[in-house]
Amino acid sequence: MTTAMTTAMTTAVLRLDSVTRVHGEGETAVQALRGVSFAAHSGELVAVMGPSGSGKSTLLTLAGGLDSPTAGTVSVEGTDLASLGAVGRARMRRTSIGYVFQDFNLIPALTAAENVALPRELDGESTRAARRLARAALEEVGIGDLADRFPDAMSGGQQQRVAIARAVVGERRLILADEPTGALDTETGEEILRLLRSRCDAGAAGVLVTHEARHAAWADRVVFLRDGVVVDETGTDQVDSLIDAGATR
Amino acid sequence: MIPLHAWRLPLRLARRDALRHRARSILVLVMIALPVLAVTAADVAIHTQRVSGAESVDRRIGTAEALVSVSDGVTDVKQKPDPDDCCPVTDGDGTTPAPTAEQVSSLLDGATLLEVRRGETELRTAKGQTPVEATEVDLSDALTDGLFDLTSGRWPAAPGEVVVNQSVLDLGYRVGGTLDLTAEGAPADPTIVGVAESTTNRTFPSVAGPPGALALDTTGTWEWLVDGGPVSWHTVRQLNAIGATVASRAVITDPPPRSQWPEEVQVETDDGSTLAILALIGVMALIEVVLLAGPAFAVSARRQQRSLALMAATGGTPRQSRRVIVASAIVLGGVAALVGVGLGIGASRVLQPLLQARSDTWFGPFEVPWLQLAGVAAFGLLSAFLAAIVPAYLASRQDVVAVLAGRRGDRPASLRSPLLGLVLLGAGIAGSAAGASQSSGGELAIAVSAIPAVLGMILLVPLVLAGLARVSGRLPLVLRYAVRDADRHRARTVPAVSAVAATVAGVVALGIGLSSDDAENQATYLPSVAPGVGIVSAYEPDVSWAALASVVQRELPHATVTEQRGLPDGDGYAEVFGPSGETLLQSSGGSLGANIMAADGDLPIGLLGVAARDVPRAEAMLAGGGMVAFVSPGTSVSGDTATVVQHSFDPESGEETGSHRVSVPAAFVTLTDPWAGPAALVSTAAARDLGVRPQVVSLAVTGHVSEQQEDDVNQALAAASSDTGLYVERGFRADDATVIAQLVLIALGAVLMLGGTLTATFLALSDARPDLATLSAVGASPRTRRGVAAAYAVVVGGVGAALGAAVGFIPGIAVTWPLTSTNGLDGGPPTGPFLDVPWLMVLGLVVVLPAVTAVVVGLFARSRLPLVARLD
Amino acid sequence: MSVRQALLALLEQGPMYGYQLRAEFERRTGSTWPLNVGQVYTTLTRLERDGLVAPVTGEPGADADGHVVYGVTDAGREEVAAWFTTPVERTQPPRDELAIKLALAVTVPGVDVGTVIQQQRSATMAALQDYTRLKRGRPSSPDDPADMAWSLVLDSLVFAAEAEVRWLDHCEARLRRAQLERPARDSAAQPPAAPGVEAQTDREGARR
Repeated sequence: MTTAMTTAMTTAVLRLDSVTRVHGEGETAVQALRGVSFAAHSGELVAVMGPSGSGKSTLLTLAGGLDSPTAGTVSVEGTDLASLGAVGRARMRRTSIGYVFQDFNLIPALTAAENVALPRELDGESTRAARRLARAALEEVGIGDLADRFPDAMSGGQQQRVAIARAVVGERRLILADEPTGALDTETGEEILRLLRSRCDAGAAGVLVTHEARHAAWADRVVFLRDGVVVDETGTDQVDSLIDAGATR
Repeated sequence: MIPLHAWRLPLRLARRDALRHRARSILVLVMIALPVLAVTAADVAIHTQRVSGAESVDRRIGTAEALVSVSDGVTDVKQKPDPDDCCPVTDGDGTTPAPTAEQVSSLLDGATLLEVRRGETELRTAKGQTPVEATEVDLSDALTDGLFDLTSGRWPAAPGEVVVNQSVLDLGYRVGGTLDLTAEGAPADPTIVGVAESTTNRTFPSVAGPPGALALDTTGTWEWLVDGGPVSWHTVRQLNAIGATVASRAVITDPPPRSQWPEEVQVETDDGSTLAILALIGVMALIEVVLLAGPAFAVSARRQQRSLALMAATGGTPRQSRRVIVASAIVLGGVAALVGVGLGIGASRVLQPLLQARSDTWFGPFEVPWLQLAGVAAFGLLSAFLAAIVPAYLASRQDVVAVLAGRRGDRPASLRSPLLGLVLLGAGIAGSAAGASQSSGGELAIAVSAIPAVLGMILLVPLVLAGLARVSGRLPLVLRYAVRDADRHRARTVPAVSAVAATVAGVVALGIGLSSDDAENQATYLPSVAPGVGIVSAYEPDVSWAALASVVQRELPHATVTEQRGLPDGDGYAEVFGPSGETLLQSSGGSLGANIMAADGDLPIGLLGVAARDVPRAEAMLAGGGMVAFVSPGTSVSGDTATVVQHSFDPESGEETGSHRVSVPAAFVTLTDPWAGPAALVSTAAARDLGVRPQVVSLAVTGHVSEQQEDDVNQALAAASSDTGLYVERGFRADDATVIAQLVLIALGAVLMLGGTLTATFLALSDARPDLATLSAVGASPRTRRGVAAAYAVVVGGVGAALGAAVGFIPGIAVTWPLTSTNGLDGGPPTGPFLDVPWLMVLGLVVVLPAVTAVVVGLFARSRLPLVARLD
Repeated sequence: MSVRQALLALLEQGPMYGYQLRAEFERRTGSTWPLNVGQVYTTLTRLERDGLVAPVTGEPGADADGHVVYGVTDAGREEVAAWFTTPVERTQPPRDELAIKLALAVTVPGVDVGTVIQQQRSATMAALQDYTRLKRGRPSSPDDPADMAWSLVLDSLVFAAEAEVRWLDHCEARLRRAQLERPARDSAAQPPAAPGVEAQTDREGARR
């Protein structure tokens, strides 16, 4: 067990260690996350489930370095994000972390290919090289023919495919998806999940935040969050009493 | 990272965004392009209208190589390459005869010289006579090509034939008729054989003919057009050495370097204050344009905040976010600058004939000063850049997580910027106060310190908005909504309110200055003579007063014309001292015709400043053969004799030939007000003691004289004698220019205010579309949108105007000190400062204009609420 | 139960004998509901009794191995048509062991309902993951109608399991709120405790 844990720690693409995040101060302070430990490994898709306000989106923003924990550490590919500074975290998002959001995922003024090329261009790569990578990524998600369309001219599912292509372009190994199927019908949503799943099978680590069990079921592991605490995890026998957790606050 | 490469993505985003949001882009384009266009058009027009030395060579010297001018008494000249460029320095004894044509020609390798005489002569007209520009030269000589343009008829071919310009025809002359010259010894009846326009002046009457045709008196000066080879700078200097001034084609078109100029003419006359004022105007205009364009960039940044947040989520740094907004400024500002310059040049070209028609001189060729226009374009770009800086900075600092979660609204206002605002405002007030207490040049200091005051005010606007939002709870819905929304979206509200405020501040400050200046003029107005009295005075010694009186009487049959006598100033003057030799008056003048008037009994008509109780005493003294000596206001002299010293001069040489001192029994009368009237009144007997015979020095005209009659009399007098005129005292009259300036100010302020308010309102409405959709969803009537729009205009316009008026008072009041105080006029006590606040104008700006704007906005806002989903 | 109608519907497509019927049923429904062959023959006998199916006579009555081949009668065809056009009735909720278990757990003292819920949810989630894993191995839009049929049956299980998880979530949330409110109600004299409020404020902003 201990050995297994250590191995898991070293190979984890994303690791949260006793992370606490408090929004606001004083009386209006809200504890979004309380001592959450969590890891996602290469080739693994982890679903984070919980109702609104359970802290699952906060977990995702912390994992991407868009926000910093009040206590605890967040590491991506072994690097503590807190040690990087804002610019370093931004570079991390360009090179290691990819985000997929629920909607308004794409920049409307850029074509599909340009949207996908965005992290590469932001990283200083030449426009041509970035665009070549982007086209390849779009082929991989099955919409290579839509490369020159603007987001306005694409369906929600196509836009989400572009977003996933953008999240993986440039060999990034951590995909953070926040309700990526929220605005889609069930079938299109399923295809997006299938795509996400296949990216993880190809070696990426994925974190999928959702409140729908049906979507979470695509993951290898499902983590249940309640009021900022991990209360359950499928495939493990670590089950704390949920009601106690709520009552002892 | 290559900088250019780093900008490629932001520029692409900016270009696409500008194309996606055309209305907003056009708004920004107009905001920036308009001032650029106006300045460009003005600049081109000024350059076209200004005729440079090289451009005017043909007009001045025809096809000749040079124009050489000499005059008696000048033996050496130091000139600039273009002598008309200002101020040749001459040296000479005043007696040496001018160099002859032969001398000049010999220095020019024996070139042929063609004599030109230029001057002014008088033409008789239906109403009297009028001056005309006259040129005598052999117009058949090819050297004169370019001096005149023959438009009809033919060139003079024989002595006694002349050409005139259209303006002369307008005076009543015609081709084929004769010219009626009034000068003595003028040849009778030169025949007008053609119409030729001067290539220099457009409207002033001008006549030209062969030498002698106009009997021009050019005694002591000669001018020649030079034929032959180019005249070099070296030759010019040689000619200068013999006292000739030279305008050489070769030198003017290709001037020698400054180092080769004579030292005497190298002095720079500019004192730098013009530059300072220009810089000041530039900065003010920049602030205004930046503030006007600011809201558009703020809204643009808000619309892009989701994109920017996505960029941040995919690894964009704050700097890259900033660049996206700045890039849109570069794109829009660049296009606006180019469009503005282009249209400005076009507008100037189109307007050129119109401007020419209103100008007295002929313009030069159409000229585009590219270097200056590049500066103007840079100004446009810079203003866009500055307008985008704050939104860009805010955009780069936005809370990515909040934006991605769909929360709207700016961050709460920081406390630091209002503090800085207070400091700046304080600095502005201090600067104004310092400028006000400065003895000279305070205006510039005050104008400069208006800049920190305005900047400080801008930083205080968020505080004011927050305060308003806090107390808005009891306002009606639409106003409450507008106030709260304005506060929530400070990034776009603050520049809009500031633009209005800056405009109003400027208008109020200038308005206070103008009306205070006017108040000073009114308060310190010194009448020349008693109200309603007219005085005809003459500056020629030997004028026939009887003839003038008959002219006046003929024009004004119902007026009374009285001859007034005084001691003539022609060949001497008198000084009056008190009993113990003291000076009695700080200043006196000849507004009644002479410094010392003569009267036996009745006081002269039109006399001012004599209190009624002094009149009997004065009249008695004059009747008794004594004199009345005036004493400065506020002082008094006791005694009964005054000392008068009569100095006499040789009218030819101007040297004093002797003085004559007498004591005369006198009544000392203290003037009630400082006045440019006579220093003393003498009786005929007293004058005889001085050895001077009183003469008529003026005519007093009493009875009603209208302004039209005054003009008629003056024209009639001009025909009778050249240097006479009637002046009727009508009391203080506001300068038309002041009234016009105030109207222009209000109009300009109104346009800028309307512009600022309208853009901010419509940007706010488009930005608030989701909220308006919500309003409509809960059952708001279509009128509500109009209401919200009008309320928004009230908030932006009203808050801006109120703040601006308050800030405008600072430089406005301060500038009244340097503008309207004096150390005392004509020996009077120090006056001013005068302060007159044009309350009507302030009220109009702060209350009426915002209300009108609100009504306009309410009328033009689309009343249909948009049925869009809440997207962001 | 609809095994009767299901078999009838399969026979409508062509005569089959018992084994064939069972194999076809399982192929279409992805072995989700295993049938034993005895059940098939019992059902066929009843269908024959009701005149809905009949041994096919055109052929020698039985194939070479002696299997009786059944075909659908006209009455049977009508029955199938009626079955497809009539919605499944929900008048009598199926007896649900989980619901009964929870109902009892809440009322019987000494049972930790939270644990019951969580264990059940983990189990259901695991089942859901299993179903999803089954789906993962297959193309998302199969061309074969039979594959499609299987896929739809799988989806039905997925949605049912999801509904169960959601219902468990709902139970949990209600129980938790009840538990949080109870102390507050019981001790009204004390200053109002915050937990209920806290649970309310702990929201994720304005996400819709």
